Amino acid sequence: MPGWNLTGAAPAVSRTVSGDDALSVSQAVEMAAGALDALPQLTVLGEVTGFRGPNARSGHCYFQIKDDSCAVDCIIWRGSYAKRTFELRDGMQVQFTGNFNLYKATGRMSFVARSFTLAGEGLLRQQVAALAEKLRREGLMDDARKRRIPVFCTRVAVVTSLSGAVIDDVKRTLRRRNPLVELICVGSKVQGEGAPEELIEGLARAAAIEPAPDCILLVRGGGSFEDLMTFNDEALARAVAECPVPVVTGIGHEPDTSICDMVSDRRCSTPTAAAESVAPAMSDLVDVLEARERRLVVSVSGTVRSAASALDGQQGRMGRAMQARLDRLSIALDAAAHRPCLASPAGMFERRRSDLMQTADRFTAAVARSQERFEVELAGMAPRLSQTTSALAARRHALDLFTSRMAHEGRTLLAGRKADLAADAAALDALSPLKVLARGYSITYGPSGVVTSASGVAAGDDIRVRLADGDVYAQVESVTVQTGAEAQND
Amino acid sequence: MAKKNVEELTYKEASTELELIIRNLESGELELEESLESYTRGVELLRSLRTRLEDAEQKVSVLMKDVDGSDVLVAGEAADTSDELKF
Repeated sequence: MPGWNLTGAAPAVSRTVSGDDALSVSQAVEMAAGALDALPQLTVLGEVTGFRGPNARSGHCYFQIKDDSCAVDCIIWRGSYAKRTFELRDGMQVQFTGNFNLYKATGRMSFVARSFTLAGEGLLRQQVAALAEKLRREGLMDDARKRRIPVFCTRVAVVTSLSGAVIDDVKRTLRRRNPLVELICVGSKVQGEGAPEELIEGLARAAAIEPAPDCILLVRGGGSFEDLMTFNDEALARAVAECPVPVVTGIGHEPDTSICDMVSDRRCSTPTAAAESVAPAMSDLVDVLEARERRLVVSVSGTVRSAASALDGQQGRMGRAMQARLDRLSIALDAAAHRPCLASPAGMFERRRSDLMQTADRFTAAVARSQERFEVELAGMAPRLSQTTSALAARRHALDLFTSRMAHEGRTLLAGRKADLAADAAALDALSPLKVLARGYSITYGPSGVVTSASGVAAGDDIRVRLADGDVYAQVESVTVQTGAEAQND
Repeated sequence: MAKKNVEELTYKEASTELELIIRNLESGELELEESLESYTRGVELLRSLRTRLEDAEQKVSVLMKDVDGSDVLVAGEAADTSDELKF
């Protein structure tokens, strides 16, 4: 019935295999399954779609892979999925290796993948991510090693293609924003074969410019992932990190991020943004200048004002101090002027003269009074003196009397004693040996005194003979001793 | 302080010196004569900087390989401002 004929092909099939030739569904499916099993293991490249992760209960993954015109169900058993090296996501280009399989209960054909690897851009992205991780581990992306870009770069080298729109974009952006920035364009391929090497050389040439630029803009317009792969080149990334001049990148469009962006000193999302980031806008510079002008004026006028007020203060203090000093001097002068010696010099002498005159008067009066007093006293003394001396006459008479009596008594006393003394003297004179000598006697002195016996001397002795008027010195010649009778005769 | 002729300074040098002068002045530690001198210099710098801002023209050069292979700077074209098209 035409009403049943839902597809153009179905009636033709039913016509060719009709009647007894008809197969059961099981037979047909079995045949198809056998045909599929006969296929060798296949490697299929396709885009993942409808992937919702492994089934919560079984752990198997059910999704589809497709290309521009076809699609097929895809199954990854739990065991195979566990060996994966990356997470599957919709849109990924993946190479699946496995076999077709027909699930007989539903007649649905699936590709059962035993293993799968990233392919195409996905593979590239994975490689880029791995390189990024490697460089990150090396520290090339550390914030600490990123150099400061001057706020106002006045000399900027641009490394990019000179034929593209990007270089004009950078020029126009900076001309509008800040024409003071001097641009030096260094041309290089930015995509395709040999582009990384040219860019590395361009960076080196830009860094070698004398005088050195403040920074280097490494820029490129938007493009496909493959186009931008140049900027994921490891050698170029290392050249950016090691460039002696700070590098600012602006590669592709937001949200493209290349490895060059990660290792550069500043990463901007687009070439225009990169150009804008190297210098302040002219209006900002004008603002800065105006602010500086205000500060300049404020600070210098402040300095002058404070100096002036300090000067005013000093002037005031000086004036006051001077005035006070003058006032004190003036008071002292007035006081001096009012002193009597200056006010009336004559008065001083007058006073002294009157003092002197008074003193003279007192002196005269005192002298006169003393004289009078002495005269009176003297007059009183004369009678007293004569009164005192009148008793002396009687005493003098008595004294005279005593004197004559004393003389008389003395004379009487001495006369008797004198007469006795004369008699004694005459007697003494008569008895003197010298009187005997005068009559011719002598005294002989021998060695042992007066010689009273002839035996008292010996011949040869020296003797002295005392005579009345002198001495005779002689030597004994001989001694003759007389007996008693003879002696009587001599 | 370097007393280079103001016109010989680059914009950045002049700008840096101006900032330095202002900070010195703001510190209030200068003698009056010094501050007036600094002020004069500051005004000179300010005038020069302002003129440069007003007269600024973009300078573009291109680094080219010379015949002997060495790099030379060749004057390039400044951006065309009449073209308002954005790429």
